[in-house]
Amino acid sequence: MAESYSEGRTRDGEYQEQFLNDKTLRRLGATIAGLFTLGVGGLVAVIIFTQVDFDLFREIIYPQFVEAFLRVLGIVLVGSLLSVTAGVIVGLGRVSNTRFTNAVATGYVEFFRGTPLLFQLLVIFTGIPAFWPPGQFPISEWAIPTAIIGLTLNHAAYVGEAVRGGIDAVPDGQMEAARSLGMSYVQGMREVVLPQAWRNALAAIGNDQVILVKDTSLLTVIAVPELISAFRNVNSATFDPWTPIILVAIAYLMITIPLGKVVSHLETRSDWGGDRR
Amino acid sequence: MSLLEFDEVDKYFGETHVLKDVGLNVEEGEVCVIIGPSGSGKSTLLRCANRLEEIQDGEIRLEGTSISDPDADINRLRQRIGMVFQSFNLFPHKTAVENVTLAPTKVKGLKGDEAERRADELLDRVGLSAQADSYPNQLSGGQQQRVAIARALAMDPHVMLFDEVTSALDPELVGEVLEVMHDLADEGMTMLVVTHEMGFAREVGDRIVLMADGRVVEDSPPEVFFEDPRTDRGKQFLSKLL
Repeated sequence: MAESYSEGRTRDGEYQEQFLNDKTLRRLGATIAGLFTLGVGGLVAVIIFTQVDFDLFREIIYPQFVEAFLRVLGIVLVGSLLSVTAGVIVGLGRVSNTRFTNAVATGYVEFFRGTPLLFQLLVIFTGIPAFWPPGQFPISEWAIPTAIIGLTLNHAAYVGEAVRGGIDAVPDGQMEAARSLGMSYVQGMREVVLPQAWRNALAAIGNDQVILVKDTSLLTVIAVPELISAFRNVNSATFDPWTPIILVAIAYLMITIPLGKVVSHLETRSDWGGDRR
Repeated sequence: MSLLEFDEVDKYFGETHVLKDVGLNVEEGEVCVIIGPSGSGKSTLLRCANRLEEIQDGEIRLEGTSISDPDADINRLRQRIGMVFQSFNLFPHKTAVENVTLAPTKVKGLKGDEAERRADELLDRVGLSAQADSYPNQLSGGQQQRVAIARALAMDPHVMLFDEVTSALDPELVGEVLEVMHDLADEGMTMLVVTHEMGFAREVGDRIVLMADGRVVEDSPPEVFFEDPRTDRGKQFLSKLL
């Protein structure tokens, strides 16, 4: 009766093809994908041949875009490292049995997920220097530290939730087995629960880190010379949108695509004894 | 002094009174088999014995030292109590041999090669030398459970707790696990076994403890319990088995 999923039965017992059976669905999918590719390919071709100014492209790529790219890459690397580290701490707080610790971690997550990153960046950028008398704030280049602090605090909340979910998904029996062997809670967490929680949370953490890369675009508001700022500079000086747009797209994808590869490599590596190994 | 003593133990899950004034002494070298209908509290009793569950009243002592005392050094006491679970609970990110060496190296501070030599011995004893480097998901249920027994033995426990260890196994894999337990009993290990395997209970058990509704209702040698139980609850339980 496997056919009954794609075919309907008429009253006199004969099989009749429905409008959307498996074969037509497959063809429909391929057709849509083909049309989409054709459309996008055509659009890109039109842009490259009619809109992109290759002289301008060469002129702006270095130093402006290369510098912006390296700046974003640096912020992403530091922000990723710090937000994942802080996120593990937040996640451990979220699964804590100590009510106070748990409440603090929950409050942290609620605040940093519940308000926009842009707002948080403005709070740090304008709010912190206000504790000093005007002109007395000791850090003259406050925008980059703001960027790293803001991205770390914000994404630690999301990573923390991913870690909490990862820990919750490890069966209780794992900690019980560790404890029954005489291991402490800390040893059980470190040796048994967290390695498994990490595997469970990897996809969600990777997803969040891709968003962190894209969130660097908000830094244009606090005057970090990043990729969107570079676009706006070029666009306002030349009125050419497409040449810098192409560069911005390439620059972001040069970070996000390898990041995705790193995450799937880590996922494969922690497939203990599975057939992906 | 018995090896493991339950003294007027009461345990509640919220409002539910799951262990009612349970007293039970397990002597050194004894195989004590706990049987009873589901929900009678037998697994809970076992889990209280290494404090995976807290008790509300009474005391549990291992070799004279209180386990249930809030100030007890529970991590140290648990090293003397091996436990094997119904659902194996092997560590999936570690190979068979790593499952066995983890606690001895982390808890007892054994050197890596020393722990490994001991693990090899234990895996050999449960018939799994060839599977030492396999991950749990590459092993059958019976093999996983035998690794779990080796893992518990690696801490050199003075008593072993078996919590329905064959209930999650395919019928053809039950025998290999029971065989390992039988050997262990023959070597003189003190064992507290919750099981539905009546053949094993009769053959290997020194004592049959029947639990019902959170109480110990009969405590007899197997030849008495299976031939002519002393209590009505015992007779009732046996009649349902046949």
